[in-house]
Amino acid sequence: MQYTIHFSQVLEYIPYLIGGAWISLQIAFLAFCGGMVIGLAGAMAKTFGNRVLRAIVGAYVTFFTNTPQLVQIYFIFFGLPQFGLVLSSYEAVLVGMTLNAGAYATEIQRAGFISVRKSELEAAETMGMSLLQSVRYVILPHLARVLYPPFSNLYIIMTLGTSMAAIFGLEELTGRSFNVNARTFRSIEVFSITAGLYILVTIAASFILLYLGRWLFRVKGKVF
Amino acid sequence: MWASFLEEIPRFFTYYNGIFLLQAGARTIGLSAIGCIIGFAIGFFLAIIRISRERSFLPMRLFSINFVEFFRRVPFLVTLMLIFFVCQALKLQLSVFTVAMITVCLIASGFIAEIVRAGIESVHITQWDAAEVLNLSMAQKLRLVIVPQAWKVILPPAFSFFLSFIKDTALASQIGVIELTYAGKVFNNKGFSAILVFGTILMMYFIISYPLTRFGRWMERKLAISKH
Repeated sequence: MQYTIHFSQVLEYIPYLIGGAWISLQIAFLAFCGGMVIGLAGAMAKTFGNRVLRAIVGAYVTFFTNTPQLVQIYFIFFGLPQFGLVLSSYEAVLVGMTLNAGAYATEIQRAGFISVRKSELEAAETMGMSLLQSVRYVILPHLARVLYPPFSNLYIIMTLGTSMAAIFGLEELTGRSFNVNARTFRSIEVFSITAGLYILVTIAASFILLYLGRWLFRVKGKVF
Repeated sequence: MWASFLEEIPRFFTYYNGIFLLQAGARTIGLSAIGCIIGFAIGFFLAIIRISRERSFLPMRLFSINFVEFFRRVPFLVTLMLIFFVCQALKLQLSVFTVAMITVCLIASGFIAEIVRAGIESVHITQWDAAEVLNLSMAQKLRLVIVPQAWKVILPPAFSFFLSFIKDTALASQIGVIELTYAGKVFNNKGFSAILVFGTILMMYFIISYPLTRFGRWMERKLAISKH
């Protein structure tokens, strides 16, 4: 028997799937914001901290960037209850993704910190700028220009990374497509629509980030 | 809790469990290594098609652009499911390992095409002009002029991409490929505590990935020095 592509059954689930895409974006956004905060703290500790602090942050970054996110979340979701810390699947995924994003953000922000040269600050001082002014006119534009492209990249990667939340029974885009697949058995149709939605969501996010970057920091870039 | 945990350890680290874990680890490495090598070959061609300016190449260029954008913007899990079910619908008798391998190849070729394109574009345009003046063919231009200069830019990100794939193939456990994550799930279902099992799996991923990360960083430094 030949497999016939049949979209009509799946089409009625599209609003349901779009709702899932919205949840995906929310998870990515929350984890990204958390990751930024951890990354800022981590990068400051790594640049200005003493030896112990640097070693701790270094171990955190090395460990989280060298192990898969999925297994980290498995560990948090199934392992931590043994210590009496029971997290719901949403919390476990969010904590896992935040910690993972924090590790990558630490590396990115540290590279940004290093890239501001001392001579730039001295030049600002020569111009008679106050500390606030030199932060506003020298350090921030510089940091934004260096950090914005890798961060918008990280955000896109994290939006795609939220798909593994489905494995923990979370009803975001991939999770909902599993549900629809179980209900209709139209696997190819469901997953191709899901793929299309992911493409739409990430292209939209890319464009928004691009124009936001141009408008805020005059960062040049392109989507394709 | 600690008593039962300590009691578990000798039961967990037996000879046969060790063999099982090592085989699973080998499958993880094999999946990403073979996938990335094939993906590199395909991605290289896609990148060359995409940068070529010949008019007759236009349909192929469009195909290349769509291919790259599709596989870069769809999550691994969704691509995996899509290919899994397409293979089923086409009645191809493939093992789940092969399905996962095909997925890795396709995604890797999409990402590596972008890395190669960035590398080729990093070579200054005057180099192309100079090669044109020497009356070299397209293949000669690439082989003799462009690629020798571009591979220093291509290799470090391509290698770190390969590393990220060692971690991403954890998702292949979802269709039943017996790699490290799946092995962890098997042990967890057998009744070993999740902390012990997934802690071990995390350590194994770390042991695989960390030396390669160091090697990649060393390579990056080495190539950066030789550029000047």
